[in-house]
Amino acid sequence: MILTIIVALFITLLVSLFLIWQAWERFASHGAIGKQTGELTPVDLEAFENLTDPEEEYFLRTNLSPAEFRRVQRGRIRAARLYVAALSQNAAILLVVGKNACSSSDSEIAAAGQELVQRANHLTNSCLLARLRMEAAFVLPAQLSLSGKIANQYMLVTYMAANLPRSAVA
Amino acid sequence: MPLPPPIYTYLWVAPHLLLIPVAVVMFRNSLHREFPIFFSALIYEFLAFAVLFITRLNAPLWYTKVDFFISAGSTAFHFGILQELFEAPLLHNATLRRTSARMLKWVTGSLIVMALLFIGLQYYNSRGHRLFPPFATLEALGIAQCFVLVMVFLWHRFLGLRMSDFAFGIAAGVALTAAPELLVEAWKDLVGPSRAGDYLQMGAYHCTVLIWLYYALAHKSEAPQIRQRVGQCPGAGDD
Repeated sequence: MILTIIVALFITLLVSLFLIWQAWERFASHGAIGKQTGELTPVDLEAFENLTDPEEEYFLRTNLSPAEFRRVQRGRIRAARLYVAALSQNAAILLVVGKNACSSSDSEIAAAGQELVQRANHLTNSCLLARLRMEAAFVLPAQLSLSGKIANQYMLVTYMAANLPRSAVA
Repeated sequence: MPLPPPIYTYLWVAPHLLLIPVAVVMFRNSLHREFPIFFSALIYEFLAFAVLFITRLNAPLWYTKVDFFISAGSTAFHFGILQELFEAPLLHNATLRRTSARMLKWVTGSLIVMALLFIGLQYYNSRGHRLFPPFATLEALGIAQCFVLVMVFLWHRFLGLRMSDFAFGIAAGVALTAAPELLVEAWKDLVGPSRAGDYLQMGAYHCTVLIWLYYALAHKSEAPQIRQRVGQCPGAGDD
């Protein structure tokens, strides 16, 4: 019985501290309630592609010692993770843009919105897979490489969203 | 059974009555479409409270049994709410949503089995208890619920997505209810009925409902912001 109390107390403390941490992080980084995720996060795609470039990785692999390469590669993965998180966040926003366009009375705009939804969905999937791959690559930096294919997908989706008429998403 | 002291009665009645404004605000902001399970849980909790209140006044002998079944229903709804929150970031992506739902079910199932084993072992060693007394089963489910709740936050973090304000409010509220409930139930199991434990539990639930009400009132539709965002995209509105 005493053990049950100790475990319950431990879990209660753990959940409370976790909740405080989440709330603190949320308000510290995004301000007060009501200030939503808002705009698309600017992403430097060139820098992202550079981080995930296989040739760059090959250059580092051949010019650095294995230990040095693992250290550098982990730093690159950490940075790439931030880019993928931003792309993922933007994909979610663009998905809503596409959804709004889908409900347009103009069939052409609705079709473009449908296409955008599909592409944004595909981008979300790719971001999730890239994230999983990055986690694995972080553990085994010498064995696994990163993939930068999502940069092109992202460019296409933003281009499609930008070319929707303003009235389609209003 | 006479009603307990006024503060106790207030803490028992007020949060359940406040569930109605939460449901109304949710309905007005169309949040019931986004979070149907949470919306149903609000209605369920209110109706369950009405049943409990009537039972307490008219059939006190049935109170404990009715309370147990209502608690079981609430726990089931809590798992449903957590699943809803888990799937919320993938709402528009059917494939990923199905995969993540399946994943969550497996993890939840494993957590429940582990918690039941742990609680079962505790009761097995103590005399005068059945292996799985009904409230101990709810305690085990409470443990699993807390871990699933932490997973919901970590899942959003992993996806790199920010939880919507209302989803965060729901999760925070569930955490604020589930964590003290676990502690109080374990405490009651050790020392027997405890008025202080009841106050803590009811106070936590009151805060939970206020949090839900606050986030429901603070919710703003995404549409105007998206208009603004697309307006900022290069080439927007050229057609």
